[in-house]
Amino acid sequence: MNEQHIASAFDRDLEAIQGILMKMGGLVETAILDSAKSLGDRDVELADQVRKGDKAIDALEEQVNEEATRVIALRAPTASDLRTVMTVIKISANLERCGDYAKNLAKRTTVLAEAPVVEGADVSIKRMAREVQLMLKDALDAYIQRDDQLAEQVILRDEDVDQLYNSIFRELLTHMMEDPSNITACMHLHFIAKNMERMGDHVTSIAEQVVYLVTGQMPDDSRPKKDRTPYVTEAN
Amino acid sequence: MEGGLVNDMRTIQRTDQMEDMKISAKDVNVYYADNHAIKDVNVEIEDKTVTAFIGPSGCGKSTFLRCLNRMNDTIDICRVEGDILLDNEDIYDARIDPVQLRAKVGMVFQKPNPFPKSIYDNVAYGPRIHGLANTKAELDEIVETSLRRGAIWDEVKDRLDAPGTGLSGGQQQRLCIARAVATAPEVLLMDEPCSALDPIATAQVEELIDELRQNFSVVIVTHSMQQAARVSQNTAFFHLGELVEYGETGQIFTTPQDSRTESYITGRIG
Repeated sequence: MNEQHIASAFDRDLEAIQGILMKMGGLVETAILDSAKSLGDRDVELADQVRKGDKAIDALEEQVNEEATRVIALRAPTASDLRTVMTVIKISANLERCGDYAKNLAKRTTVLAEAPVVEGADVSIKRMAREVQLMLKDALDAYIQRDDQLAEQVILRDEDVDQLYNSIFRELLTHMMEDPSNITACMHLHFIAKNMERMGDHVTSIAEQVVYLVTGQMPDDSRPKKDRTPYVTEAN
Repeated sequence: MEGGLVNDMRTIQRTDQMEDMKISAKDVNVYYADNHAIKDVNVEIEDKTVTAFIGPSGCGKSTFLRCLNRMNDTIDICRVEGDILLDNEDIYDARIDPVQLRAKVGMVFQKPNPFPKSIYDNVAYGPRIHGLANTKAELDEIVETSLRRGAIWDEVKDRLDAPGTGLSGGQQQRLCIARAVATAPEVLLMDEPCSALDPIATAQVEELIDELRQNFSVVIVTHSMQQAARVSQNTAFFHLGELVEYGETGQIFTTPQDSRTESYITGRIG
């Protein structure tokens, strides 16, 4: 649907909402990378910046919802226009949650800055953050280009994030068993990893919305679930 | 389109009574002299359902509607080919009396067109000529029932002798609907029934259409896509004389399968 509406103001409205959504997406990508960097460098100042930056993301979500409500009320969108508006609302909620997780990560950075470094964990978390951010970038690109194939690929990549989480879980468990004085730091790191894994789920949900937007059908839920946390516990 | 069907409550409500097809059109072609106005249209219209025909001006939706009660017979240069079955009976069969057919398949037009007679006589006209009432009391009852079905009884019951033309536009249209249902039709064809009405009168007529659905099969031609979305269970999109897409209304308005339908309903140049 690249054709223009007869009412050009409708096109402008839809473009404006999607513009806000993309701005929001950009801020969330930055928040994810910055929060992971603040953790890696124990950079409390950067962490503080991420925490403060979340307000802007929340404000954008509100703006998306307001504009979307307006378009529904004034233009009664149908078919792909309706799906655009619906997915914009849902995606903005997913992005807002990702922003919250990044903020939470930044909060924990300030605590972890006082604790001893747990070897290996930082690197793994940074890798996870990088992967989630790349998935988000691709999901948003897929959105703008209305590329359901790319979105399907993003959905599959969530498996990698889940695997990273599982290996971090195992790693942290080992550290905690080796030396109980690591527990505080490891618990925080575990929450961070779990939040990253949840971010991956939100990004997956964004990608699913893209598939729905393009095809009108939600993708089949054939993705294998790789969260084997309880089995990991048994193995230990 | 199972996704669309499941989510439409209106569809679920009527599943128990939707087995039959009321009207079945097969390979219908209509020509106005050399102009090929309707091209190979195949459509099944369900009983006790509102079916909307939408499409840009000149797409053939009104022409096709008028085929359903042989209104096109009145146009000399018009030629209809193909089969149109009402309850499995070919309505273009030589043995079919068009006047009887039109009592069974009523019609309401774009502009309210009450007869220059009293409100009572407007409604009583059809039953009288078709001999549906033997006594004055029976006729009175038909008039009252029809006016009630037309959702206008309360407004006119005290002035049944007043001229129908003295009513407001919205009331006139509901009077015309009452007149159309007075002959106990099975199908009601409506050609832009609300285009001359204000939003309140439109809402009243739409509410009425939804009530009529319990007893009749309603086919409505409308330029307002929102109206089609509001009142119909099935929607057919016509374009350049072709039936482009026909399906459950919720599906047509959320996930149309044809790009021409999409372009039209989303208000794009297509």
